Amino acid sequence: MLSIRLRKAFPDFDLDVAWDSREPVVALVGPSGSGKTLTLQCLAGLVTPDAGQIVVGERTLFDADAHIDVASRLRRLGYVFQGYALFPHLTVGENIAFGLRGVAKTRIAERVERISEWLGLQGLEDKRPRELSGGQQQRVALGRALAVDPDLLLLDEPLSALDAPLRRQLRDDLTRIVREWAKPVVLVTHDVSEAYQLCDRIVVYEHGRVVQAAPRSELLWQPASETVARIMSIPNVLRGTVVKATPERIQLIWRGQALEAVNSPARAYLPPPDSPIAFFVRPEYVRLIRKDRGRADPAHHMNVMHGTVVEEADLGTTWTLRIRLDEPGPPAQGAFDLEVEVPHLVYEILGIDRDRHWEFSIHRGSIHVLPG
Amino acid sequence: MDWFPVWLSVRVSLAATALTLLGGVPLAWLLARKVPRLKDLLGAVVVTPLVLPPTVLGYYLLVLIGAGSPIGRFFESLGLELAFTWRAAVLAAAVGSMPLLVKALQAGFEGIDPRLEQAARTLGHAEWSVFWRVTLPLAWRALVAGTVLAFCRALGDFGITLMVAGSIPGRTQTLPLAIYDLVQANRMHEANLLAAMTIVAVLVLLLGVGRIARVRY
Amino acid sequence: MARRGVLLAVVLSALVVVTGASAAAPRVRLTVYAAADLAFALKEITAAFERTFNVDVILVLGSTGNLAHQIEHGAPADLFFAASDTFIDRLVERGAVLRETRAIYAQGRIVLATARSAGTKLTDLRQLAEPRVRRVAIANPLHAPYGKAAEEALRRAGVLDAVRPKLILAENIRQALQFLQTGSADAGIVALSVAGVPEIEWVPIDPALHNPLNQAVAVVRRSAQPDLASAFVQFVNGPQGRSVMKRFGFVLPGEP
Repeated sequence: MLSIRLRKAFPDFDLDVAWDSREPVVALVGPSGSGKTLTLQCLAGLVTPDAGQIVVGERTLFDADAHIDVASRLRRLGYVFQGYALFPHLTVGENIAFGLRGVAKTRIAERVERISEWLGLQGLEDKRPRELSGGQQQRVALGRALAVDPDLLLLDEPLSALDAPLRRQLRDDLTRIVREWAKPVVLVTHDVSEAYQLCDRIVVYEHGRVVQAAPRSELLWQPASETVARIMSIPNVLRGTVVKATPERIQLIWRGQALEAVNSPARAYLPPPDSPIAFFVRPEYVRLIRKDRGRADPAHHMNVMHGTVVEEADLGTTWTLRIRLDEPGPPAQGAFDLEVEVPHLVYEILGIDRDRHWEFSIHRGSIHVLPG
Repeated sequence: MDWFPVWLSVRVSLAATALTLLGGVPLAWLLARKVPRLKDLLGAVVVTPLVLPPTVLGYYLLVLIGAGSPIGRFFESLGLELAFTWRAAVLAAAVGSMPLLVKALQAGFEGIDPRLEQAARTLGHAEWSVFWRVTLPLAWRALVAGTVLAFCRALGDFGITLMVAGSIPGRTQTLPLAIYDLVQANRMHEANLLAAMTIVAVLVLLLGVGRIARVRY
Repeated sequence: MARRGVLLAVVLSALVVVTGASAAAPRVRLTVYAAADLAFALKEITAAFERTFNVDVILVLGSTGNLAHQIEHGAPADLFFAASDTFIDRLVERGAVLRETRAIYAQGRIVLATARSAGTKLTDLRQLAEPRVRRVAIANPLHAPYGKAAEEALRRAGVLDAVRPKLILAENIRQALQFLQTGSADAGIVALSVAGVPEIEWVPIDPALHNPLNQAVAVVRRSAQPDLASAFVQFVNGPQGRSVMKRFGFVLPGEP
């Protein structure tokens, strides 16, 4: 569906990316200034790359070698700018209709009405953007981009200008709209959970380069590197030392603990002994061991450790616990070593509020090694 | 009391303002686009009339369009006299007021969020349409302010007009030139009357324009 | 939307106004460019000429230097009464005026004027150096012949350096006079021809103190009515003209 190769050099930044996508909704994720918005601008024809190729569906929008550079206005795409860029001197209706050139007046009115309805903007058609709330403005921006029936929709940080409660709700709205519209979407965001909820494929940017492009689950479970894990805000990214590595298993030492992990799939990663190694552990896969059943059964529990809960937070349906190991020495993540997530029920049954010291285990398959 | 200078000045100023708009709007747009070399050179040229003494400017204009010059001869061949006619007065007033319009409008254009123009492009509009439907409306206040300034400056031009159009009574003697003449001849009552009329006219204009231009985005 | 319509309307109506801006066709009209010092004298003479010959005369006054520039570049003058001969000679050289029509029509005189509001009347150029005289108005020596003559007179009287800091340079004789009339200057040197106003008192300045102010006239080459122009010159130099000119202090060389 989408194939992008771009190079663009600036005095203090350069972009050199290549990725493609057969999935309809792609998210570009990464820290600010990593080139995500620049990519969108190149896609939209607002910035001309120095070299590369952009193909959307059957159409080549840009090809430096073949001297193809389709003008912005002919690319048939919709762009929702960060901050929405609504025309302040036009009404909502006029904003939405702005791209409908050469269309009969009656058809325009029809289309605007349909879009207003679909996006929940009825009754606001004669208002000016400054009279609208943030969420309404965002939907007008969407409506304006969709009214022209584009082949591709580009969204630049669509939710970042909104405050947290609104953001959750609009994220759901946006998900619904994107699914209903069912055409290719490229979305830029620095919020990983937003990307995850809205998209099928995630492309991770850093410093003008792509560090990983993959379907979303793969990215979450198999980040290609520590860098990616960091960008994806995956918790419990830790560093240990290799003891021995085989294609199936890696034994390592972390905080004085001897741990065994499965090796990264598809990559026979074989670091030599004593080399540093990064890995992560998903908080919800750390198992606290019940105290009323005697000793832990090694067949069920691997990588057994013990520590004390030093911090906790109630997130409504789950509790996040921060555990510091009984091991001497400075903890791995500031005041604690591991972040652990337990459902409310578990928290209550185990009485974690009263009993702070725990034994816990991590299955070797839940310790994810991060190459490079 | 000879009222000719009043009518002449009104017509000359309106024409000069129109000429200034015709040339100044594209100039301001060019300057606002931030093409660096063009901007510096063009910007300096535009500001020159503000810097040079008016009679000097008028003299250079005279050399440029006078009877002996290529431009002057060209227009004569068309049967149109340029220097020492009301046309030269219009030119003089336009040259003097152009920098004011350009600078005001340029600032107005530069204050527009470039993403608005980009949005218009992605929505299928060609450059002219982007300019007419987004850029210009958003710079409306600056345009009005610049135009009013330009008109007032055109109405009050003296030195440039004196040199390139002359102070020919009944032909090119505009209001400022006429007032000067009267003051020199110590006919103060008439001079005061004309001056007062000028001020009143400008006040009325400013109030009227203020009405039209009231804009809130 | 409406506002852009207004803008368009204004621009268009201005253009419409412009195309209709030419003046109505006049009867026969003579355009006389003249130095500022001739203001009073020529106003009277042109009125008489208009009556006698039944034509319109437009009198354009200014500083000789500026007018000469303009004539060189095609100003619509039929003839040019300069306040000196050098400017006319230069225009003859440049072919802007007709050599054979060059004539001296007067010799100018300068006077030492005191503004009545400034106090006691000055009688000698050297008094201009006195501290009670704060501002002295003359025409700009750079482009006004009377200004040049004033400067020469000051120099030959030995007071130029002392007076220079107090000098106010006017555009032309009329403006210099105006400074005196309004009291902006305490004293000044102006042309005899314009000195007849109530606000000042004056004494003549010895003509030997400056180069003669031979004032020349010539018909402009581009004139469409050279004969009428010549007729005007003859009128000025004829009995009617001469009596007016004398009255305003313009003498011909050789006349008493």
